[in-house]
Amino acid sequence: MIELGIVDTRNIINLIAEKYNYDFSDFALTSFKRRIEMLMEQNNIKHPDILMNRLMENKNFVDSFIGQINVPSTEMFRDPSLWRVLQDEIITNIYRETGTGFKIWLPNSVSGDELFSLAILLVEMGLLDKVQILVSSMSERSLDTIRSGLFPEYKLEISYDNYIRSNGKFSLSNYFSVVNNQAIRDVSLIKHVTFFNQNTLLEPAPQGVKLVLFRNKMIYFNQTLQSKILKIIYNSMTTGGYLVIGAKESLGLLYGNNEFTLMNEAENIYKRRL
Amino acid sequence: MYKAVVIGGSAGSFQVLTRILSALPKTYPIPVLLSMHRLKHIRSGFLEALAIKSNLPVVEPFDKEQIKPGRAYLAPANYHMFIELGNRIALSTEEPVHHSRPSIDLSFITAAQAFRDKMVGIILSGANSDGAYGLQKVKENNGITIVQDPNECQVRTMTEAAMKLTRVDHVFTTDQIINFLLKLN
Repeated sequence: MIELGIVDTRNIINLIAEKYNYDFSDFALTSFKRRIEMLMEQNNIKHPDILMNRLMENKNFVDSFIGQINVPSTEMFRDPSLWRVLQDEIITNIYRETGTGFKIWLPNSVSGDELFSLAILLVEMGLLDKVQILVSSMSERSLDTIRSGLFPEYKLEISYDNYIRSNGKFSLSNYFSVVNNQAIRDVSLIKHVTFFNQNTLLEPAPQGVKLVLFRNKMIYFNQTLQSKILKIIYNSMTTGGYLVIGAKESLGLLYGNNEFTLMNEAENIYKRRL
Repeated sequence: MYKAVVIGGSAGSFQVLTRILSALPKTYPIPVLLSMHRLKHIRSGFLEALAIKSNLPVVEPFDKEQIKPGRAYLAPANYHMFIELGNRIALSTEEPVHHSRPSIDLSFITAAQAFRDKMVGIILSGANSDGAYGLQKVKENNGITIVQDPNECQVRTMTEAAMKLTRVDHVFTTDQIINFLLKLN
């Protein structure tokens, strides 16, 4: 296993910031370093200098690097109880209050698991064609992967179980096909989704969002970046809009103490105050 | 002064762990970090079961939580638990290691980077080889390495895998682990 020094890690961060305008300096160091080590391992890159050279010379490699640095979500319908609350309370409330056409934003998407889970939830609520889903990612390659519907096999079993626990109406397999032994999600679910590229500060950010699904993304940032990003998310939301973060993430002492109210502690759902 | 005791365990380790936690006093000055294999989809119950027997408060830390003495930190379900520089816990949802999230290896590797020779790593009973590589990293950084005596383990695979990779400092029964930790105090 390759072990990267802190100095090497800093050099890589500086290179990408100067040459490509993606600033990773406020990513949480331990996991960021580990992501680079894993990427080097997978790409058979033995030395940080070789990685630096490839980052200098190959723009496509940079996009794929950024795609791999960001951690994919673990499965579909992670934390099934959250999906029940989204269905029974949050999305039902928003729809009742605002009618059709409201915006849901999934910032920093990597694998599309949250997106497809949401799309399935909405289609079963009869709302999929009545909302505007926005998906942003730091990497074009990640967006391509999401749009392809490809789904790794090791996530299948837990996703099937989660779907049942989330009170899904049918079987998750209804939304999959298998081609050449490869599970593919039904991409017609996401045909009206708007995809766009963003930087490490989640910019450009949309406006007037009613619901932001942002689970287990902040854990990869240090507290400085967490605060900056929360401010951007806050500004993207309408008053009374909902923000969902991961079960073990916290707005704690960050920006957000006065801006958000914790409305569901078990599922970590916040509401924008003013 | 040691900065952390990091314990990893899997199948057959629950009772050993509760014995250790019930023996450590409420004022135990070294933070205890627990990276235990557990069901991914069940968020509650495990913490509560451990807390009943423990004198130290047991918490499932939030991301970037400061590590403090007098507490035991249990890796939350479906998250890896890393030690971040600045004596904080960082959580991760990256791919499972040895089919496990939390992974004992990842807790040990990151703890070894952060605490160097100021930590103790302990591997308890378990059914796979998670933790072996991590304990090697603890040893390389001159931390103290301990495995539960395989003869006492309900499942000996994990301790034996660790001993195969590393010349561990101590092979201890549960009672010896407890005595050691109390003297470390």
